[in-house]
Amino acid sequence: MTGTTHALLAALTVVAVVMILRLVRLQVLKAKYTILWLTVGLVLAIVAAVPNLLDWAADLLGIWYQPTLFLLLAIGFLLLLAMHFSYELSRVEKRVRALAEELALLRRDLDDEQG
Amino acid sequence: MLRYGDRVRTAAIIPAFNEAESLPAVLAELALTVPDHDVIVVDDGSTDATAEVARAAGATCLSLPFNLGIGGAMRLGFRHAFESGVDRAYQFDADGQHDPSQIAHLLAALDHADMVVGSRFTDSGDYRVGRSRALAMGLLRWMVRLMSGQRFTDTSSGFRAFRRPVLEAFATDYPVEYMDSVEALIVALRRGFTVVEVPVTMRERTGGVPSNRNLRLAYHFVRVLILLVAGTGRRRSPSSLRSAAP
Repeated sequence: MTGTTHALLAALTVVAVVMILRLVRLQVLKAKYTILWLTVGLVLAIVAAVPNLLDWAADLLGIWYQPTLFLLLAIGFLLLLAMHFSYELSRVEKRVRALAEELALLRRDLDDEQG
Repeated sequence: MLRYGDRVRTAAIIPAFNEAESLPAVLAELALTVPDHDVIVVDDGSTDATAEVARAAGATCLSLPFNLGIGGAMRLGFRHAFESGVDRAYQFDADGQHDPSQIAHLLAALDHADMVVGSRFTDSGDYRVGRSRALAMGLLRWMVRLMSGQRFTDTSSGFRAFRRPVLEAFATDYPVEYMDSVEALIVALRRGFTVVEVPVTMRERTGGVPSNRNLRLAYHFVRVLILLVAGTGRRRSPSSLRSAAP
């Protein structure tokens, strides 16, 4: 890995880890996302701290241009995550709809009681 | 077959989104034509006086906290109709497009079917649509025919009547996305309900804008095609928070 790539990766890692720790500290994320993003931060930190790790893994897999491995892993991870979010969002929307219906029916019952 | 007990309870379900302007005339006409029917207005998150207008006219008004779209509003209407013991119900437009004198035709056909679709395109209908919309509707007609072996001339008509078993099914399973009427037809056919079509005449709408933009129409068209091809229908919604009994 070239020095420039390494510097870029290190900078990205620092930004990512700082943002993740901030979110975790504010306790705005659900536990499972906290764990997920902490793991991501850890992996980024390891890759940044041990630059030869990525080169070694790329060579092992027969990848000629080493950063490709990083991009490949990142895209794969993000794709899975996006799919997971689509699923979660669909589920949440379904529940919001059910709650809206519930609210309308409770309003109806309340109106009925008050005459 | 519906004539048990002393009276058949019939309800009009009217989804309404910001229809305060056209709603009073529609409700007044319904009260004249079918005075013994329950009228259920589902206020779909309106920001105008739709709910007040409906209550002032003596209708039952269900107010959703925000806009869910016609499908979402109808599902709530079906649920309320079923819970309050209605025997049969029909969907009616808040914008004056539907003619109350045609309700009797729909209900008469309900004697030998679970669901009746009022069609604008058979002989007695007089209704024109734009070219892209006509094309999409033609394709949908053809797909529904392939799937069900039954010929429908107007798969997207919102002038429909339903018997109680269909009300029960739609109370939890009504498609909540746009183009709900096509999807609902598919759901009903898949569930083995008998669906017939009767010719009706319709009017020009008195208020509101046609809810069709070409791009949106195209997206939902593709969505319904996928649904048709997928062939699995919809699963029962697991998110019913309250049991069906009132």
